[in-house]
Amino acid sequence: MNSVLRNAVRNPRILGLLSAIVVIGVIFSANNPSFISTRNILGMVRSMSSMGLMALGLTLVIIVGELDLSIGSIYGFAAMLTGTIWVDGVHIVPALLVGIAAGLVIGFLNAALSNWVGIPSFIVTLGMMTVVYGLSLLISGAEGINPKYADPPADPGQLSVFRALGETRLGWNIPIQVIWLIGAAIVFWVLLHRTLFGFRLAAMGSNPVAARAARLPVTRYKFIVFTLGGGMAALAGMLDFSFLGATDPSSGQSLLFPVFAAVIVGGATLTGGKATIVGTVVGALLLAVLNNGLSIIGVGAFAKEIFIGGATIAAVALDRFTSLKRSKAGQA
Amino acid sequence: MTATVAAPPSTKGFSAAAQGLRLELRNLRKAYGHTQALAGLTLTLIGGEFLGVAGPNGAGKSTLVRMISGEGKPDSGEMKLGGEDWRPASGESRVPVVHQEAMLFPDLTVAENLLAGRTGNGLARRPSPGAAHYEVLDRLGIARFGDHLLGDCSLVVRQLTEIARALAHGEQAQIFLFDEPNSALTEEESAELFAQMRALCEDGNIVILVSHRLNELVHSADRVIVVRDGGVGAELMGDSLTEERLAREMVVGKTGKVRGAGNRISSQAEAGPSAFALNMRDWRHRDGSFEVDEFGVFEGEIVALVGVEGSGGRELVRSLAGLEEVRGAKKISDRSVTYLPADRGESLFSDFSVGQSLLARLGRGVIAGRWGLLKVRKMEQFAARYREEFLVQAASLDQPIGDLSGGNQQKVAIASALAERPGILALEEPTRGVDVGSKAEIYRILREFAEGGGAVVAFCTELSEVFELARRAVVVSHGRITGALDVAELPDVGSLAEAVAGLSGGYVREQEEPHE
Repeated sequence: MNSVLRNAVRNPRILGLLSAIVVIGVIFSANNPSFISTRNILGMVRSMSSMGLMALGLTLVIIVGELDLSIGSIYGFAAMLTGTIWVDGVHIVPALLVGIAAGLVIGFLNAALSNWVGIPSFIVTLGMMTVVYGLSLLISGAEGINPKYADPPADPGQLSVFRALGETRLGWNIPIQVIWLIGAAIVFWVLLHRTLFGFRLAAMGSNPVAARAARLPVTRYKFIVFTLGGGMAALAGMLDFSFLGATDPSSGQSLLFPVFAAVIVGGATLTGGKATIVGTVVGALLLAVLNNGLSIIGVGAFAKEIFIGGATIAAVALDRFTSLKRSKAGQA
Repeated sequence: MTATVAAPPSTKGFSAAAQGLRLELRNLRKAYGHTQALAGLTLTLIGGEFLGVAGPNGAGKSTLVRMISGEGKPDSGEMKLGGEDWRPASGESRVPVVHQEAMLFPDLTVAENLLAGRTGNGLARRPSPGAAHYEVLDRLGIARFGDHLLGDCSLVVRQLTEIARALAHGEQAQIFLFDEPNSALTEEESAELFAQMRALCEDGNIVILVSHRLNELVHSADRVIVVRDGGVGAELMGDSLTEERLAREMVVGKTGKVRGAGNRISSQAEAGPSAFALNMRDWRHRDGSFEVDEFGVFEGEIVALVGVEGSGGRELVRSLAGLEEVRGAKKISDRSVTYLPADRGESLFSDFSVGQSLLARLGRGVIAGRWGLLKVRKMEQFAARYREEFLVQAASLDQPIGDLSGGNQQKVAIASALAERPGILALEEPTRGVDVGSKAEIYRILREFAEGGGAVVAFCTELSEVFELARRAVVVSHGRITGALDVAELPDVGSLAEAVAGLSGGYVREQEEPHE
């Protein structure tokens, strides 16, 4: 193993999360054996896929020391925009491209406002979250879209192409969304841990002042991560739209918390510099296990929220305790 | 005005309180980790005295201030005030401290600042300043600013407010500590501040001024002590209190005595005339931090820009790397300028390992190939090579950079900058907070770089560093280059100090934290 890049992989946090997943899994299985069934596990991974895709994009934003609160709204807006123009008669392929482009453009706008105007990204994307949600409501008239039953209904050929993106089942009954997630995770892992781009993102987030002194391309890289983050949110929205066959303007609004939670539980710090793709994926998995398991053992939707919120705080609290010792030793 | 506000202070009160005022420090010792900041310091002060404190970095100046103000406790030794044992607590009312950067409340008015820290009467009552407080402001000549928000006032007003606050806070204030109070003030503002300090003395108080501006110490203080190696190294007063004497005392006993191993700069001296690595004309900062008619650096040369904080030297170094807004003409030989800030908090990436830190500035073609993919094995080889070449002592390349000692961190920082293979290295205070052994190694690394044809421009505040490192010293004062010295010609640090003092109007070095 390469010693310069090693610490990205040999991470006590990830081992801890994996053991937590195993322990929780055992408890749930003891309560209800169907938790451990292949069918349930595949379903669980599928259901976390859109959250996972968004979390991958957000990981890059967070490691460079920025935030993006608008991704939930982008998810909903991209799907809604695609659906709306498709139903209006645009062919599905350009409609999909327009939806993805919308996500990229909103991400670019976030970057422009925070880099060129100098507004902190928290505020830019907080505003953008609401602006984009408003756009979704506006173009949809606050109504959901189901292309199959629209008036006139979507072209069946186009519909099957569209549904194939998110609904297909592959060999061993594996949902295609699982493959999307695994593929994206591999791409992002290479991007963050094996390219100059990722190496420098970590440097920039670790110390923006030093990054500027070393003349790393800080502004350009921030544009890339925000734009990419917007694109990933749009892709996630599109795939869920495809899987469900329908979308509504407020979809995605409830995703913001789990996406952030996945990245944070995965070991990223909001101040930047520290995040790993494996951590993010495992963090998303932990949240999915909790979500799914709590449903299966019948805790109820309301109590479930309490558990998931609490688990997020607990994971970070645990990290504080372990990293406090290290940072004390590290002061020179 | 509420009943809770302190009784109005009066001039008479001070004199009375100061009767027989006498502060004795005996054998004070204080260690921070392995660093003995104070090693048996003994000092006696009497009311009405204006004491100047000078000393090299890390000599114990700041620690002394902290002991007197109660911001720190001595490990051993006696402190007596008026013959009685005295243990000041932090925020001790008898010892107001005026800091370099006024530490007050910018969103309150000047007068309201005098009340901050006083409790109001009940929840709803906000204490308001009364006549007594305006009287204090009047005495300091800032009554007309009473209703201005402090944040809108100039620095001198803010600092006078800090004094006023000390006066208004109690009849008890007796010892006034000024820790580099005027480093950001203009000459007239400084004069105003010094006049007020003198007035405090005449009221029978003790005034202690810590400064790196030797001319001010000489002109204002009755007595100047040079703190050296944690004790009082020299005491100058009366006829012996001159800038030249002071400049000499400041550097005696430092590394200058050892005279950095004969080969200090010989190889540079032998190098014949070479080409300009960098040449600037009419080089001006947009906000006026510096105005330089001409400045040039030759290939193979190490030039030290010598100046205090605020002299413009730091900005000048940064401007070479294009980090400041400048007007003027710059000519650079084909190779690039790499810049390294003084503060390792601004040069290193805290979340990185030693290996990553060494490579952080490298780019495509070196550690990454097509598609920007990292060349993992090459990175490993480079990191190992730099670690060896730059004498970095680390358990492994995996070790977090923050775990290394200050000296090794600085070696990593310099290695990462030189790894870029720049033509010119522009850096600030190359060995700030670095142990003696690492210092020598860093000087060697920089000299080797210069011998290889590189040029080094270093902003320095430590004269011993200038003496060890540079062939040429360029003195920067008030944004202008006031002269240049051939360091190689000078026999010791003392003569360098005198020469620099002559060129810059009494400067020797800036103050720094005594422990690292």
